[in-house]
Amino acid sequence: MRIEPVIASVHQAPGDPGPPGPAGSLSADEAAILAEFAKTPRKERFARVARAIAPAIGVVVFLAFWQVSTQLFDIQKFVLPRPSDILSGIKDDPGFYIRNARVTLWEAFLGFAIAFVLAIIGATLMAHSRFIERAVTPLAVLIQVTPIIAYAPAVVIWLKFGIKPILVLTSLVCFVPFLINGVTGLRSVDPNLLELARSVNASKREVFWKLRLPSALPHLFAAARIAVGLALIGAVLGEFFAGVSSGLGYSVKYAQSHFLTLQLWGSIYVLALVGSVAILLINGLEKLTLHWHSSQRH
Amino acid sequence: MSQMTADSVASPSGATEFIAVRGVTKLFRQRGRTVEALHDIDLSIRRGEFLSLLGPSGCGKSTLLRVIGGLHTADRGSVTVGGSSADTARAGKQFGFVPQAPALVPWKTLAQNVRFLTTLHRGAEVHQVMNNADIRELLSTVGLAGFEKAYPHELSGGMQQRASLVRAFALGAPILLMDEPFAALDEITRADMRYLLLDLWERSNTTVIFVTHSVTEAAILSDRVMVMAAGPGRIAAERIIDLARPRHAEMEDEPEFHAAVRQLRTDLREHHGR
Repeated sequence: MRIEPVIASVHQAPGDPGPPGPAGSLSADEAAILAEFAKTPRKERFARVARAIAPAIGVVVFLAFWQVSTQLFDIQKFVLPRPSDILSGIKDDPGFYIRNARVTLWEAFLGFAIAFVLAIIGATLMAHSRFIERAVTPLAVLIQVTPIIAYAPAVVIWLKFGIKPILVLTSLVCFVPFLINGVTGLRSVDPNLLELARSVNASKREVFWKLRLPSALPHLFAAARIAVGLALIGAVLGEFFAGVSSGLGYSVKYAQSHFLTLQLWGSIYVLALVGSVAILLINGLEKLTLHWHSSQRH
Repeated sequence: MSQMTADSVASPSGATEFIAVRGVTKLFRQRGRTVEALHDIDLSIRRGEFLSLLGPSGCGKSTLLRVIGGLHTADRGSVTVGGSSADTARAGKQFGFVPQAPALVPWKTLAQNVRFLTTLHRGAEVHQVMNNADIRELLSTVGLAGFEKAYPHELSGGMQQRASLVRAFALGAPILLMDEPFAALDEITRADMRYLLLDLWERSNTTVIFVTHSVTEAAILSDRVMVMAAGPGRIAAERIIDLARPRHAEMEDEPEFHAAVRQLRTDLREHHGR
């Protein structure tokens, strides 16, 4: 990056303005190569801007297609509203969406956090003993393959209405990715490092905190990205069944039963936004903590 | 303690024995079969000695290194280090281990990595851990000054292995256990590393046990070379390398060096292929 201006200044040396002619000390071939070099910064700048806006392009094109086609085919607003209507609906009553988003976000966050803590404890035990791992893995698979929507009503009957069943459901769906990735991560320590630690008689606790847990971080971040989406599913689904009267899930359910299509879509948009921001935060945190890991280099 | 045994592999010239390996046999179970990795090994090492274990792969040289370091337990026989067991010595942080791969902690800087062994199992500091000034000097000796804040992935393979050496010396342990530390390096870097290691060893008064499959490496580094053979793993010959200290690269052209290399090669050939 720092080389670019140097090359440009060589190219535009005093007394040699513009494309170098035969009078220059450079041969035509060399001049052409240098000129090509001098051009790269602009190309590179363009490439960098393109890379930066690429993630937004897909979303923008998708929304534009939605907007145009609903107008083109004249689809009625209460069947499928246009993105512009949905966005202005949110703008008309932001307080409503913020209030409900806070409820859902809090449930999702708590469930996510409970799952994380429990899964780390479970993963530590499983990484410690193959027997425990063999005993617990089928249970984790059972939790994973059973559709949450099937056992959600059962959990509500068992724990009654309120936030309790919502937290249980949310942490249950987030638990498995953290557990499985945690076990893999805690076992991913360089065996040479483990032997090195043993050569100075390091305690199990030291090995866990100084080697195993940091080695597991890349795996736990991967799990966190999966768990964010699952936490929102758990929280929204919980609100459907748990007889609560706030949250974006409740708003979705209410809007559906009262044919409030705009509010329904507004809640969906806000949920999508909340999830995306959470993913962005996790990615940022990952970049900060895992600068040493090969996944963060390109 | 320095009593000579009837074996041919007793301590040379009756010098004080520091590490004593007596009748060590080590068995490994592989798919229901029992393999004798080490058979009845006797070995005596004096303080400050540079001893190499030379042999083909599968001769048990790395296993012997780990039995001495208390990382493996012997099925028969005993290891004593300064009169106590290998495990006690390990618990007292008496061993600086240098594995084949540099094995640096990827999320720690170079400065943190070279102190890593010191930070583990604190409270067992029975010997002199290097202070910061000494570590800085050591880093500049091995050409790593200015890289203290670099992460391992930012260093070349040779730099990483140099950091691994510094880490072992920084521990200040009286014994260094080296398991083919230069095997993964290119030939040119490896040659530099040998003399660097000798330089560091001569400044300290550590005892080095060095595992290698390179005849020239064993000859230029060691006071004494134990030539090992496989099936079962055993010591086939013991050779004292009578080259002057300090050693330097020019010595590799001298007839004494060539004679030592030839002798070790002959030993290896004689005992190869059971």
